[in-house]
Order: sequence, then structure tokens, then C-alpha cells
Amino acid sequence: MTLPIAIGVLVTGAVYLILQRDMVRIILGFVLLGHSVNLLLLSAGGTFRRGRPLLETAPAEEAADPLPQAFVLTAIVITFSITIYMFTLAAASEDDDTEEAS
Amino acid sequence: MLLLLVVVLAVVTLAAPAVDRVLGRETGWPVAAVLALLTGLVLARGRQVLVEGQVLEAALPWMPAIGVGLHLRMDGLAWLFCVIVLGAGALVLVYSARYLPPGRQGGFYFLMGAFTLAMTGLVLADDIVLLYVFWELTTICSFALIGLPGPKAGRPAVRTFLLTTAGGLALLTAVMLLWVRTGTTRLSEILADTSWTQDPGFAVAVASLVVLAVLTKSAQFPFHYWLPDAMVASTPVSAYLHAAAMVKAGVYLAMRFSPAFGDLAVWNAALICFGLATAVIGAVFALQKDDLKELVAYSTISQLGFLVAVVGVGTPLALIAAAVHVLAHSLFKSALFMAVGILDHQAGAKEVSELSGLRRAMPVTTALSALAALSMAGVPPLLGFVSKEKLFEAFLEAPGPAWAGPVAGTVAVVAASLTFAYAFRFVYPVFTGRGPRTPGRDAPEEAPRLFLAAPVIASAGGLALGLAVPLLNPVAGAAASDAAHAGTEAHLALWHGLTPSLGMSVASLLLGAFLAWRTASGAVLAGRRLFPVQGTTVFERLYSGVTTAGERIGDLTRTDTPTRHLAAPIVLVVLLAVAVFTADLDYGVRPESVSHPQDWVLVALFTAAVAAAVLTRSRLAALALVGVAGFGTALWFLLLGALDLALTQLLVEILTVVIAVLVLRRLPREFHRVPRARRAVFAAVAVATGTAAGLGAYVFTGRRELSSVAEYFLSNAPEETGGTNVVNTILVDYRPMDTLGELTVLSVAGLIVTATLHSAGILGKWSTRLSVSMASPAWEADDNTVIMRTVTRWLLPLLVLWSVYLLLRGHSAPGGGFIAGLVGGAGFALVYLTAPSDSVTRIRLSYLATIASGVTVAVGAGLLGYVDGSFLRPLHTGLPVPWGEVHVTTALVFDAGIYLTVVGVLLTALNQLGLERPDRRFGEGADARERGRDASSSGGTP
Repeated sequence: MTLPIAIGVLVTGAVYLILQRDMVRIILGFVLLGHSVNLLLLSAGGTFRRGRPLLETAPAEEAADPLPQAFVLTAIVITFSITIYMFTLAAASEDDDTEEAS
Repeated sequence: MLLLLVVVLAVVTLAAPAVDRVLGRETGWPVAAVLALLTGLVLARGRQVLVEGQVLEAALPWMPAIGVGLHLRMDGLAWLFCVIVLGAGALVLVYSARYLPPGRQGGFYFLMGAFTLAMTGLVLADDIVLLYVFWELTTICSFALIGLPGPKAGRPAVRTFLLTTAGGLALLTAVMLLWVRTGTTRLSEILADTSWTQDPGFAVAVASLVVLAVLTKSAQFPFHYWLPDAMVASTPVSAYLHAAAMVKAGVYLAMRFSPAFGDLAVWNAALICFGLATAVIGAVFALQKDDLKELVAYSTISQLGFLVAVVGVGTPLALIAAAVHVLAHSLFKSALFMAVGILDHQAGAKEVSELSGLRRAMPVTTALSALAALSMAGVPPLLGFVSKEKLFEAFLEAPGPAWAGPVAGTVAVVAASLTFAYAFRFVYPVFTGRGPRTPGRDAPEEAPRLFLAAPVIASAGGLALGLAVPLLNPVAGAAASDAAHAGTEAHLALWHGLTPSLGMSVASLLLGAFLAWRTASGAVLAGRRLFPVQGTTVFERLYSGVTTAGERIGDLTRTDTPTRHLAAPIVLVVLLAVAVFTADLDYGVRPESVSHPQDWVLVALFTAAVAAAVLTRSRLAALALVGVAGFGTALWFLLLGALDLALTQLLVEILTVVIAVLVLRRLPREFHRVPRARRAVFAAVAVATGTAAGLGAYVFTGRRELSSVAEYFLSNAPEETGGTNVVNTILVDYRPMDTLGELTVLSVAGLIVTATLHSAGILGKWSTRLSVSMASPAWEADDNTVIMRTVTRWLLPLLVLWSVYLLLRGHSAPGGGFIAGLVGGAGFALVYLTAPSDSVTRIRLSYLATIASGVTVAVGAGLLGYVDGSFLRPLHTGLPVPWGEVHVTTALVFDAGIYLTVVGVLLTALNQLGLERPDRRFGEGADARERGRDASSSGGTP
């Protein structure tokens, strides 16, 4: 119940920001969207088992689904690199208004 | 021998441009000689193929995996068309050597060679894929040849190309249908296979597609207009195109498929109706033309109408008539075209109204034109008479209701009498009479012998074969046998006795003579518009309609504003969600809540952070608030047992803020204002999307037990990989290919950042917005960063060491390449933050090289996997050390590649976005300004 609510809140904020005209706001919207999708992935794995999949220190019977975690780990880093790239675009002019020229 | 034919033609084609450099237009001679030789070669096999009924075959592998081969096959039908294609080609090339202006001819001979090759390949192909390839090659060659004269020929060439390509696509569809249905691409097998012809729906579909291909290729009504349009091509091209190539390809295709479709009513009806309609329409158009070349062009349309219609009749007699008429038409049509070219050259005009009385000055041209025209008109004892009589006889056999035969025969007689009239118009006003009507022009002279050679041979051939027509019995019989009815024998003769067809011939001649007299040889009709619209106009309207429609559709997205591009998928998602939730789906039972109390704290945190981030107008505040949401996400990862994710998320949040700040300092402090109405719309869309996402997450997730994949990883990872951090083993042991892909995305992002900033040429133009007054104690950068610099001096080596430790232990404990790379990168970020000035690179590592080495190491580790059989398979070994044995795996090397790439991308971002550089493009003055500004603005560094 809690995760879906959080996902809904994050997506709402993300979409609102993405539709704005400033590049920086669009970027921040994408960052929020990234968070929500990552949480959605984990939610897909289920939240009924919350143990760490570190088998040296925790029992496998309680470990959470490691596969979505692996997805999310790379997704975080890729979102980060895309964010850097978008910041570069925002920095590519004096102003980051996306509607000036048109 | 068949391979030899194709290979020799290919060699000739390729050699033609080189020879052209030396010989210029005289290249026609050697090329014609080779074609004549090949014609002789084919003729020499005549006895074998026609009389003994042998089928020559040859094959080369092409695409063996899908069963497509270069299968060539020569039966009687292919033999006939081969002789026509090669023989007419030789004649046209001999003619070209005199018709063309002296000097180099550009691509002309190359294209003619390719055209001949394509036609030869087309009639020999025994593989439907190969057939299609050659079919399209003839289209491409004719496009290039028509467009050769220059810009004014461009449009007609394009029109021809697009129309015939449309037919080609129909053929391609038919080819694919047949291939899928029969499982083979061998044409002979497909035609022999009766299983698919018995399925009426399928056979009708394929037949319709083939009919479409035939009608477009052979310029049949209503697609006929491309042929006169293509008259912009030079006369030799037209002669070849009309007599032997291109348009004859359609007739060949129709004859080739007759065995399969001969009994289909659709096939018969379509070919007969369109063919006869074209025969009449083409003849009427021909009669009203003043330009001789256009007259002959419309005559081709009309004659091809006869051919298509008679193939549609499909009886043995009809196919014999088709075979003979194909040959007769090639002879008289090539002769007539070449005669027009000669008139144009020698008399300076090709209009009926401009020419008169040329028989005295040009006796040979007169004779050959007359012979060819008489053959076309169907006057005995020429070959055209024999073929026309056969046509009449065949039309009387038209399948279908009882009235079909007489009606078809009557229409054919009408078309034939019109043919007589326009043939008369070609000869009578031009060669008889007083003399040139335009005074002041040089008196015309007879053309040189070499110029006359080719048309003389063609028109004399029509006479000789007419007189010795029984000679053609074997070829007509064999062609008809192969086209549909095995064992057909032809009995051709000038005199068959008093038959109905003789009566029709006489009727057509008399009616033709009457028409020629009544219309004053066509002058009555000359120049009148017979149709309300012209084919080319219709084509151009369709064409511009399609392009305009394309532009309209493109207009929807033709904007630089991201909002419109981004809104489209978002709204679509909402609509999809509405569709899904209104459908009556069974979602299964959601287990009772598994939420923990602390989850609710995080929900509250998210809500507050997101709401504030959305509402604030300050850039810095928005960044910080989004950062809060990021930390909340990290915390949630922690609660869900994803320690690695939490670490990664935390590091990413820190670094995002560092990099964002580097950018934000160049931008205005506040966001742009957006009108209230627009904000309301955005808010509505956002709430709808958020609701959809939340509902989707609630409904579609968390309704099942642990996945079997997870079960597998959790129980097998330690034994199989030697690592106990299951997430990390998934990344580097189980799914390294995915990780490698993600690594590549990372490195590309690093490259794009560099490329974008360099290509935009903005590095030097940046100015830092100072927000600190000089009186403030924050002004002095050096003094203010002293503590941080001191700390960093110790912290940097520690961070780097720690990152390496994280990397090494990642396989079994929290850590791994991504996290270690981020920690290392954070260390470098510290160095940047403490720098007193923006103008010097703090870290002299080459960042692009770091990225490259990371990817290289990762790929290298992957290649090592080949030792064990496959790319990226990790190798494991135990390394003895004093205190026992250490587990070593190439997965660790792969992880080191990840580490290097992440560090490299971070360094790139810091270096590219964090540095101020003097702009060297503005020279000394700019440099000096830059230095001055740099000195005064150094405190602006965050």
C-alpha cells in the first residue's frame, strides 16, 4: 500500500516538472521519475521479504528478491549519467528556457 | 552456357565505361559485336531447345541458408525472349554508335549493358527472388536511361520509376506469398505445383498482384502514360525500351505465369479487358499525334495491349499468336524508332507537319520505314500480317460467355484498322508530296550506311520472316508449350485458305484504309484532347498529395519545445491506464498489507519533498528538495533490504548535487514564470498520471510469491560464483552482457557530454554569476576553503583506497564496481570543490582515456570468457597465499572495468562542467579579459 502511494506521489511531481519550460525543471522531473520507476521495480519483486541478499551475514530464506535490485542498481547509475548529460544540455546556453527560440 | 551469357554481359557492362574513355560513341561497335555473338550462341542452341525440347539449366549458390539460388533455366519461351533481347540490343547499339554525338557518352553504354543484362537475367531466372531482383533492375536501368539527357528528363524518369516500382512491389508481394505458400523459390517448381492454384482465394490474390505488375510494366491502361512520358530519353533508349526490354518484361511475366493462372476467370478477364481497351485507346492516341516519336510510342502501347489481351485468352493458339507477335513487334518497332531518329538527324524534324516528300532524298529510309509500317499495319506478306491474323483467330477463342469471342474479335479488328491508319500516317505524309514544308532548311540527305544498317536489318527481317514464316513454327510452338500447353505445335503460313481470320484481316485493312482516307491521315484528330485528364497530371496530384499529407503529419511534431514531445507519451499512458482499468480484469488477490510503520514516515517525507519541489520557484531549493526525495528513496531501499542500492543512491544524490550546482551557477536563480492556466493543465495531467501509476503499482505488483528466478539465484549463487553478494553476482556473473550494455551507455554519456560542450563552442563564453559582494568575508576563495582543502588532502587518498577496497570485496559484501566508482568519483569531486580557481584542471587524469580503459577492461574480461567457451563467462580459480587460498575470478576484472568507467564519466562531468576556460578564438584581448574576470570571480565557486 505504501509503495504504490509513494510511486503515485513521485510520478505526479515528476510529470508536473517534466511539462515545464525550464530545462532544469525537466531534469529534476526525470530524476523523480527515475526514483519512482526504481521503486516500482522493487515493488514488482515484492516487499514481503526484506532481508538483505548478502548470504554471508543473512539467511537466504528471508532475503528479498535480488533480481530487481540488480536492475535498479544499474538503472540508478544510468539515470545518473543521463542526468549529467541533460545538465550539460541545460548548461549549453546562457539560459535554460526551452521555449525561447520557438 | 547460361552462366556464360550472364557473366559475359556483366563483364561487357563493367568494361563499357573504360572502353568509352578511349572510343567514345564507337564503343557501340564492340558491345554490339559481343551481343551479336551471344545472340548467335543462343540461336545455335535453337535446335536443342526448340526441336528436341531440352531445357538448359545452370545454378550457382547465392543464399543457401534460405534456399535462394542463382538458378537459370532456358526453355522455348526463355529462348525466344533471349534472342529478342540480345538481338535487338545488338541492333540498337550498332545504331547508337552513329546516332549519338561523337565523344564520350557518360554512362550510356554502361546502362545499356546493364539493361540487357537485367532483361536477359529476367527471362532466364528460375528463382522468383532472382526474377524479382532482375525485374527491379530493369526498372532502375530504365530510370537511369530516361534521366540521362539531363534535368528536363528528371521528372518523367521519376514518374516512370515510381509507377513501375509500384508494380514491382505488387510482384514482390506475389513472390513472398508464393514463397511462403509453396516453401520453395524455384519458379519451375512453383508453376508445376497445383496445390496452390486449387485454392481459389489464394490464386486470385496472387493473380491480381501479377496482373498489376504486368499492367504497370507493359504500360497498359490506366498506367500507360509513363511510356510516352519516357520519350524524353534518347531514341536508341526508346527503341530498346519499346522493342525488347522493359515493356516486354510484362508480356514475358504474363506468359510465364500462364500455366498457373490460365484457367482463372479473373486473369482472363483482366488481361483481355485491359489489353483490348489499351489497344484501342493507344491506337486512337497514336493517330492524333503530330510528333512521330510520340506516334510510335502510343503505337507501342496499343500493340502491347494486343499482346496482353491475347495472353489473357490463354489458348494454345493465343500463346502462339503472342509469341509471333512479340517477335514481329520487336522488329518493326525497333525499325520505326530508329527511322524516327534518322529523320530527326537528317531532316531536322520529327513532326508529321514539318516533313514531306523525303522519298527522293532518302530512298532507303523511305523503304525501311514503309516496310516496317506495313508490317505494323498487318499487310501481307510481312510478319506483322501473320501475327495479326493469328491474333484475330485467337481472340475468337476468348474464354467466358459465348459472346466474348465475337466481341473481342470485333474490338481487335477496330484496333487493327486504327493501327493501319496511324501506320499510314507515319509513311504517307512524310515521304510523299512535294518536299520540305519549311523553307530555309538544308536539303535533307540520305543517312550514312552504317547509320542505316540496323533499321534496315530490322525491317528486312520482318519481310524475310514473313515470307519464310514456317521457319518460326518450332519457336512459336515451343514458346506456347512452355507458356501453358505442353505439346503445342504451330502451323504458321501466309495463306491458310478462306478462314474467318482472313475475313477479319481484310475487314481491318479496308476499314483502316477508309479511316486513313476519311481522317486525312489523322489530321482531323490531331491535337484534340480525347480524355478529360492526363495521366501525368493525375500522377503529380497524387504525388504532391502524398508529400503534403506527410508534411502535415510531420508538422504535428515539428517543434523544438520539449513539452509537446513529452506530453504525447504521458497522455497516451493515461489513456492506456483508463482503458486497462475500465476493462474487467482479474487481478488476483492482493495479500494483506506488508507495509511497515516506518514506510508511512517515508511516504510523508516524499509527499512533503515533492510538493515543495514542485511549488518552489528557486532553482537551488528545487534541487535540494529533489535531493530530499532521493535520500528518501535511498532510505526506502535500505528498508527493503537493498543495501547496495541504498549506498549507490546516496552517492548518486551527492554527486548529482555537485554537478547540478556547477551548472546552476550559470543560470538564473529563479524558474521562468508559466501562465496559471497552463499550470492548471499540467497539474491535471500530472495528477492523472500519478494516479494511474499508483493504481498500476497497487494492482499489478506484490501479488505473488518470490519469483523462481530469485529462488534460483538465492540458492545457487554462492556455489556457482564464489560470491555471497547475490545482487553483485547477478551483475557480473549471471547477466554481465546487460551490465556491459549499461557500461556502454555510461561511457557514451561521458562522450556526449564532452562532444556537446565542445561542439556548442560555449566553454569560453560562460560567465559566472557572482552572488557575493566584495565586502563579504565569503569573497576570498583561498581563505574560505582552507579547512576543506586540508581535510581533502587526507581524505582523497583515503577515499580512493576505500573505493578500491569496496571494489575488491564487492563480490561477497556491499560494494562492487558501481559503488566503488562512485566513491572514488566523490573523492575527486571534493578536490574540485576545494579548488580556489576554476581555470585549472585539478586532476590530470585523462578522463576520456579512463572511460575507454574501463570499457576495454570489461570487454577484455569478457573475451577471457572464451577460454571457457563463451563471451563474458567468468573464470574461477584459487590462488594460493600463505594463509590459505584466495578465490580469484575474472568477474572481478569485469567489475574493475565498471569502476574505471564510472570514475571516468564523473571526471568528465566535473572537468567539462566545472572548468572556466579562456576562449582562444578571440585572441589576446579576450584572453586578458578572461584572466581579469577569472581573478575577480574566483570566489564564485560554490
